[in-house]
Amino acid sequence: MPLTPFQEQIKQALHEKHRLQIIGNQSKVALNHDHQALDMSGYAGITSYDPAELVVTVKAGTKISDLKQELAEHNQMLAFDTPDYGDSTIGGNYACGLSGPSQPFFGALRDFVLGIKMVDGQGQQLTFGGQMIKNVAGYDVARLLVGSKGLFGLVTEISLKVLPLMEEKTYSIEMGQADAIVKMNEMAGTALPISGCAYYQGKLYYRLIGVHPPQSAMPEDNHIWQKMNPFRPEISGKQKLWRVSTDSMHPPIHNTLLVDQIGARRWVVSENKPDVSHVDLWSLQEKTRRPSFDSHTKITDIKRGLKSVFDPYEIFY
Amino acid sequence: MNVVQELLHRLPRDQVIVDDEQKAPFECDGLSAYREKPLAVVLPADIEQVKQALAICRKHNTPVITRGSGTGLSGGSLPLKNGVVLGLTKMNRILEIDPLARTAVVEPGVRNITISQEAAPHNLYYAPDPSSQVACSIGGNVAENSGGVHCLKYGLTVHNVLAIKIITIDGEELVLDYRDDGVDLLALLNGSEGLLGVIVEIKVKLLPKPDASQLIMAAFEKVSDCANAVTNILKSGIIPAGLEMMDKFSIKAAEAFAHVGYPLEAAALLLCEVDGNQYQVEADTETVSRVLKENGAYMLKLSRNDEERIALWQGRKNAFPAVGRLSPDYYCMDGTIPRNQLAHVLDEIERMSKHYELKVANVFHAGDGNLHPLILYDAQIPGELKKTELFGAEILKLCINVGGTITGEHGVGVEKLDSMCQQFSAPEIEIFHKIKRVFDPENLLNPGKAVPTLHRCAELGHMHVHNGQLPFADLERF
Ligand SMILES: Cc1cc2nc3c(=O)[nH]c(=O)nc-3n(C[C@H](O)[C@H](O)[C@H](O)COP(=O)(O)OP(=O)(O)OC[C@H]3O[C@@H](n4cnc5c(N)ncnc54)[C@H](O)[C@@H]3O)c2cc1C
Ligand SMILES: Cc1cc2nc3c(=O)[nH]c(=O)nc-3n(C[C@H](O)[C@H](O)[C@H](O)COP(=O)(O)OP(=O)(O)OC[C@H]3O[C@@H](n4cnc5c(N)ncnc54)[C@H](O)[C@@H]3O)c2cc1C
Repeated sequence: MPLTPFQEQIKQALHEKHRLQIIGNQSKVALNHDHQALDMSGYAGITSYDPAELVVTVKAGTKISDLKQELAEHNQMLAFDTPDYGDSTIGGNYACGLSGPSQPFFGALRDFVLGIKMVDGQGQQLTFGGQMIKNVAGYDVARLLVGSKGLFGLVTEISLKVLPLMEEKTYSIEMGQADAIVKMNEMAGTALPISGCAYYQGKLYYRLIGVHPPQSAMPEDNHIWQKMNPFRPEISGKQKLWRVSTDSMHPPIHNTLLVDQIGARRWVVSENKPDVSHVDLWSLQEKTRRPSFDSHTKITDIKRGLKSVFDPYEIFY
Repeated sequence: MNVVQELLHRLPRDQVIVDDEQKAPFECDGLSAYREKPLAVVLPADIEQVKQALAICRKHNTPVITRGSGTGLSGGSLPLKNGVVLGLTKMNRILEIDPLARTAVVEPGVRNITISQEAAPHNLYYAPDPSSQVACSIGGNVAENSGGVHCLKYGLTVHNVLAIKIITIDGEELVLDYRDDGVDLLALLNGSEGLLGVIVEIKVKLLPKPDASQLIMAAFEKVSDCANAVTNILKSGIIPAGLEMMDKFSIKAAEAFAHVGYPLEAAALLLCEVDGNQYQVEADTETVSRVLKENGAYMLKLSRNDEERIALWQGRKNAFPAVGRLSPDYYCMDGTIPRNQLAHVLDEIERMSKHYELKVANVFHAGDGNLHPLILYDAQIPGELKKTELFGAEILKLCINVGGTITGEHGVGVEKLDSMCQQFSAPEIEIFHKIKRVFDPENLLNPGKAVPTLHRCAELGHMHVHNGQLPFADLERF
């Protein structure tokens, strides 16, 4: 089998002992000048898509907006609701493990990953998982690498489960944050077809899909879900932006800008790290790698061990 | 002191089984064609005892085979002669149910159905429902990433587990949480078949019970019409809560067993359940009925109430034992295929059935492409088991050839080691072995299961190995 250009670049890097930095569209990371880029942004397009199978296979450099558009033409969607800024790639999204407001209802990005093709740090082409909704042969490497941020290997192709595009309506109720957190959790425990539930600037917002009973709440524009995104620079401003993943019933945290995902995700704008577990720093200005706060040295050891399984010569920075 | 003596010495006497007769119930799982008696069976009651047992086994370099309820169908908890079985059924407490946050924290030995029963007063339930749910343990479900009738809409085990606590072979207690940053270790442990760690606590997601559920049953004269109907239901934008198909043989067997009124003359039967709020269910029922008629269903039946709905499911849910009554033995296969290959695959299975002179009943999770052909055989007839296994392996090969996989939900265990050699290349299998070594360098946790040695693949002739250089040549062959 002939080597792909990516494999050649990796073998070359191995030979010359220099490091590679995988980039999509650099919306999360900027290229470090000491490193050579392994640029995925040109490796784009849908490899296979049969709407009736509810599965799409896509090259990693494909822009999310392009993928969404193609799916919409067949009345389907990426149900993990990833925020759409028009230029990030599906590979970058996979490597960051990012999902939007629908996560508690439909699942996170990793829940829709069925299989990947990748090239490891020795230039080997590997396939894990496939295009099946159910597949338990071998360890689930396709899901393991969600969130690996380009440190383990180059993901070249991803198969994702897709869902029918659903009609949605957004409603709001005015209330205080603490009450809203309880109310959200109560609503999520009913049979209402919810696909988003957030608290933002004094209002509890919820989004319903499909046919549902009449609501007494205020109807809202569906675009509110993009507007309340804390990533917009004018919102987070100069302070640091923290993403807190927590229990959905966790009480209000100081300086919270947005409570999303029924309370399980809080966006906090502050100079200091909030004093809760599972906090990540999100800095648009710096575009540096996000630090990770592992609680346990053994877990860090395992992650290091896994890194060396896929990238024994530390080619990927 | 040897390992058994030390286990007897350090753990409560009634929790260590060494007597041959008492060991008998542990000598196999649901794949009873394979049997072996272990050195001992340990039944820990809490995490401390799990750690103790692991420490003793590690000290004596003794393999540990973790076992839940032993309902596995691929020999995953088959003992080793020189190993210890760690049975977790005593760890069966529900530790916490938080109705507002919709989560439950449970010990691994809790039976799947118990979680839903305990959550029911809060109008919540645990979605993944393998047919073995009255018996199988939630720990086993995580280790196998089990699925059920509802997984097209509500996902597999991996989609419904929020965190787990594991004990590693070196005794470390780790919590793996879906909120952790970086690579997804929680996803890796799901479906790891007891090879990476002992799962001792699980936090699951609970879902609100739907307000309404409607079952639509449809009969077809042609299998291909039924397959098309499945495709078109999904194309219409509806994700049913359950979408199950049975062939003529299974319909007959199930009806003779459960007497629920299945149409005996049909070539294929489809059971489609839609759920949600009342409004949605009415709309979806209308759409599904229309699609079914358009695709050649000659008979439609809508459940009039919950009792009737549950009754109609009974036939399908009991299809395995029903078929079991028609034959001394049966072998349950588990492959997944793209749905658009269904008609072709069923034709091929029919052809093989004639070739091997063995009857097959087809039960099919049509919504997600998971196929369960049941091969009927008689173990008393010399050579028939071997023939059955060959037939089974050929079905799995067919699944791979049409773009599918060798196991949708039952796992690899010892049963599908050879088929793994067909689905994966040598470098991929090598990666699996290396992952295992990160967690368990001495290869003490369930050794020989789930991932074949490259030796084995090479001997089968399915894998090309350069210059006879086998990585992991030192590893034991199972
Ligand atoms: C304006 C703006 C708003 C945003 N809002 C949100 C938000 O609301 N919520 C949210 O969760 N996220 C948000 N993001 C983050 C954004 O979604 C991610 O930055 C994006 O998914 C990364 O895609 P990318 O192609 O730009 O990747 P890059 O930034 O180029 O790379 C991101 C990481 O992925 C790795 N990577 C990229 N491609 C591959 C590959 N093929 N194989 C292996 N590793 C790879 C890189 O090495 C790097 O570590 C926002 C970003 C921007 C710029
Ligand atoms: C009639 C019948 C119907 C079935 N239907 C389905 C179905 O619809 N869907 C489906 O997916 N499966 C089905 N199965 C298969 C089986 O029930 C599942 O695989 C189940 O998850 C096994 O659970 P268990 O507790 O019995 O595990 P066991 O059989 O005891 O063990 C299975 C594997 O998990 C490992 N393991 C068990 N507990 C732990 C733990 N706590 N930590 C680490 N490893 C552990 C074992 O080492 C072994 O490898 C069916 C089985 C039967 C007999």
